[in-house]
Amino acid sequence: MSTRSHSGPALPVHTDGVGKKYRRGWALRPVSLVIPHNRVVALVGPNGAGKSTLMGLVTGMSRPTAGSITVFGDRPTGRGLHPAVSYLAQQKPLYKQLTVAETLEFGARTNPAWDQRYAERLVEQAKVPMNAKVGTLSGGQRTRVALALALGKRPRLLLLDEPLADLDPLAREAVLRALLAEARTQGITVVLSSHVLAELEGVCDHLVLLHSGRIVLAGDVNRLSADGTPLGQLVLHHMRAAAQEEAA
Amino acid sequence: MIWATLRLQRLQLLVLIGALVVGAGVIVLLRSNMLDALASAQLTQCVTTLDECPAPDGAVKAFVTEWDYLFEAARFLIIVLPALIGVFLGAPLFAAELEQGTHVLAFTQSVSRTRWMFVKLVVALVPALVVLVLLQYLVWWWLTAAGVLGPRLNGPFNPFNFGIDHVSPAAYALVAFLLGAFLGAVTRRTLVAMTAGLTAFVALRVVLSGVASRWVPSERREAPVTSDVNLRADGGLELESGMLDAAGRPVPKGESLAVIDACKASAPEGPDAQDVFTACLAEKGSVKSYLTVIPDGSAWLAHVYDAALYGGLAVLLLAGTVWALRRQG
Repeated sequence: MSTRSHSGPALPVHTDGVGKKYRRGWALRPVSLVIPHNRVVALVGPNGAGKSTLMGLVTGMSRPTAGSITVFGDRPTGRGLHPAVSYLAQQKPLYKQLTVAETLEFGARTNPAWDQRYAERLVEQAKVPMNAKVGTLSGGQRTRVALALALGKRPRLLLLDEPLADLDPLAREAVLRALLAEARTQGITVVLSSHVLAELEGVCDHLVLLHSGRIVLAGDVNRLSADGTPLGQLVLHHMRAAAQEEAA
Repeated sequence: MIWATLRLQRLQLLVLIGALVVGAGVIVLLRSNMLDALASAQLTQCVTTLDECPAPDGAVKAFVTEWDYLFEAARFLIIVLPALIGVFLGAPLFAAELEQGTHVLAFTQSVSRTRWMFVKLVVALVPALVVLVLLQYLVWWWLTAAGVLGPRLNGPFNPFNFGIDHVSPAAYALVAFLLGAFLGAVTRRTLVAMTAGLTAFVALRVVLSGVASRWVPSERREAPVTSDVNLRADGGLELESGMLDAAGRPVPKGESLAVIDACKASAPEGPDAQDVFTACLAEKGSVKSYLTVIPDGSAWLAHVYDAALYGGLAVLLLAGTVWALRRQG
């Protein structure tokens, strides 16, 4: 199964012309893409650009129609997530009837590698009571519990699909801060998707810009804006160009 | 995974245990009350046969009037339990997760979909089947004590007696459960799966009722019309009956009815009316009467065929559920 590249440890994500087509058309046109180690990657694009599709392919929740994809050198199988990968879906699904402690217990029992103390610490930092039922938590608290569940398995790649979408600005700030602290100290590659670049600007050091199932722009943020153009302006420019190209 | 599933099914498990405790208590109590009632009405010997019943006139009728609706309630319980298992355990099993998106949570831990699915199915189904079989046994134990004063009088092929005996209830529950689970996995809607599952299950039960009995070999009983042998004495599921001529060929229905009418009209009043009537039948060519039945003793075979029929359906539904869950996401 292992298709490791010849130089160094296998990359978190490496795609070779990977694409996904549904009956209504391409959700993600074949793209080749590399996500390097220890980066905070912003996956940006309007709704329907293919962000969730790309994440689905990385997690193995959906199978590619074309091309291939490897995650730390292994092909996602759909038989459970890669042990080094955590994924937080957009709806942040959690069992409402479980308490926070039971949710962590769920993580402990469904993952071979689980750091209970670390997960508990993340919940405590968020000031979420352990014996509270998940259904009674606020959106921000739920996100923090979902993050603790995702990080408790000690991933090397953390995928977050629109993690900030339903949070108020204060909670958004707190979640981002907690997330970045963990990413830096634990050496995790984090992929965050959003349809609003402003949310992630100043946080990410790598950008992947999607439009209508195509990659419009990808690369290191510093290199992309080397000529001094602000990232926001750069993204806007490329989006407009992509939209015009599509119209023509 | 097993811990997580047990925890998520906790409410259902508690309800099942509660149903078992209450049901068992009520049945044990009713049975002992019934035995007292039988003894005080001198009906204890009448349970095996009504022919030599020493009880005073009207005692049997009074007993049946008092207890009949309770027997019916017990039979009803075992008849509807499979449907309830399908609606409340099978239908929400996957539908609730797909509806709330929590299947993504399960699929994105280090657990395979197949394992997740089978653990959920087994953890929900096995306790339900155990409770069903225990309650079924208790009802059987109670109704057996009532003997021919209870619903057993109608024989094992009576549709309601058949539905509560042997392996049939467990087979029905298996199909009801998997039907609910399958529809839940396909529709991703709990309420739709519950209602569609119930409708489909009731339709199946009606359509397949009695199908398994037809595969059981039947038995032909014959007796000369002049003898006083009762062909129906041993019970059994009656398939066909009529008259035979001297050569052993069945007399056509219309013809035999005409003969019976003619002989009835010509028979004199008096103590030997029956003999004159049967002699007249024999004279006019209806020499023997016959009956094709599935004997009561073969009821177990009908249950085995019934279980095989529903078991086959269950396998198809399981395959359908696996297919539906694999294409999610």
